[in-house]
Amino acid sequence: MSTVRAAGILLGKELRLEFRSRELLSATIIFALVVVVLFSFAFDPTASESRRYGPGLLWIAFLFAGSLMLNPSFSREQINETLDALRMAPISPFAIVLGKMLANFIFMSLAELILVPVFAVLYNISLAGIVWRLVLVLMLGTIGLTVTGTVFSAVSAHARMRELLLPLLLLPILTPLLIASVESTASLFQELPALDRTWVAFLAGFDIVFLTASWLLCDYLLEE
Amino acid sequence: MKNFEFLLTAWIVVWAVFFAYEITVARRITQVREEIARLRQQLNGN
Amino acid sequence: MKARWFFTIIVAALIFLAGYAALFVAPDEKTMHAVQRIFYFHLPSWIAMFSALCVVFYANVAYLVTKKRKFDALGVAGVEVGVMCCTIGLITGPLWARPVWGIWWTWDARLTTTFILWILYISYLLLRGLLEDPEKKATLSAIFGIFAFLDVPLVYLSNRLWRTQHPQPVIAGGNGSGLDPVMGEVLLLCVAAVFCVMVLVYIDRYRLELLRNECDELKFEIESRSVQAANLGGSATRRVGS
Repeated sequence: MSTVRAAGILLGKELRLEFRSRELLSATIIFALVVVVLFSFAFDPTASESRRYGPGLLWIAFLFAGSLMLNPSFSREQINETLDALRMAPISPFAIVLGKMLANFIFMSLAELILVPVFAVLYNISLAGIVWRLVLVLMLGTIGLTVTGTVFSAVSAHARMRELLLPLLLLPILTPLLIASVESTASLFQELPALDRTWVAFLAGFDIVFLTASWLLCDYLLEE
Repeated sequence: MKNFEFLLTAWIVVWAVFFAYEITVARRITQVREEIARLRQQLNGN
Repeated sequence: MKARWFFTIIVAALIFLAGYAALFVAPDEKTMHAVQRIFYFHLPSWIAMFSALCVVFYANVAYLVTKKRKFDALGVAGVEVGVMCCTIGLITGPLWARPVWGIWWTWDARLTTTFILWILYISYLLLRGLLEDPEKKATLSAIFGIFAFLDVPLVYLSNRLWRTQHPQPVIAGGNGSGLDPVMGEVLLLCVAAVFCVMVLVYIDRYRLELLRNECDELKFEIESRSVQAANLGGSATRRVGS
């Protein structure tokens, strides 16, 4: 079976699993909302401050919420040892990892779809005229987050204290992504919004590097 | 020399860190060697 | 053994010479005067760290490909030594910055990158501590190590594009850079000294890890023999039957 087809089937499985209970998705959204609200208490930003710090806040909320959301990706498989079943199926290891990456990407994107408008309302930032460019930036950032996060979820699934370990491993690695995403988003929130090509190219580069690394290392990631 | 304390502290830090680490490693090597000797004896005894 | 002692003596001599050169031979810097001499140990510690981490990357890849435990040993030894050199750099840097810039720390490109690097490789050690199965420990930390190493140029690039206060590269940078020749020689001597110390410590830590592996193997051997003995004693009748 081709990798893409296998990944597609696994993606379907992950989506079905999640949409049965929707608990992971709702917890992620609520958590990100909490971060966004807490920020307003901690800093009480004015309008111009919101525009300046807003992008940073948004992406930190996504990174924190993402780190929590990515944990069950592989730790879920350990309860009934379903990962062994997946490994024995006649599909490439990359199909398994890719399926999970796609699922996580979709979950994260759904969360962002809800959070960004809420954020824009709470901090009075107008999204008029920048929606599609913002979607591009969000998408590139989320790809980096979910690709790296899925791999590290597999890594930390075997360790003790995995809920603490995953953010600890993931967030330092994602600092370039954070910087690039924040700068790209900030350039869109300006008075005269403009898409910063350098940073967007950097984001794309980051995604490519880590996706390639994941593809090359996935055999070792999933081995017995 | 101006700001000599900073220079001196930096110098001390550099060599103290290396030295302390090397000492701990050397001590652990001795401990593990002793344990290996003990285990080999136990193995040959059986 | 003899080679080891010879090397140790050479290194000790190098340290002494380097220290003397840094303090007395190198000319005084125009604006910073004495404190600038920290540079002779600050920069070499970065070079030592970077070299160690390159070896770690090689070890990580080699382990995944060959599955030989010695590469895992090489990896963890290198990370410990690398973190140590990084710590030295992160301490000597502020000690130099405080009298010269008036601040202990700033979030510019290089400092931020280095701080992240330090945290990344400490996380590597933490990860190893939290994994129990030795094979998993080796494989997963090798994977993390590879990701961490790939991340370093990205962190550096992103921070460089973003902000900069650290002095622009003195040796190979743009206009206005270039080192006084005597300073250059002293620097070279100090780089050699610190590098050799790093190698010495790295080799020792590597040996320690190999010895630990040997110890674990012996323990495993003893355990499996005692299990075998217990089985033989208990199932003697069954064995005869089949």
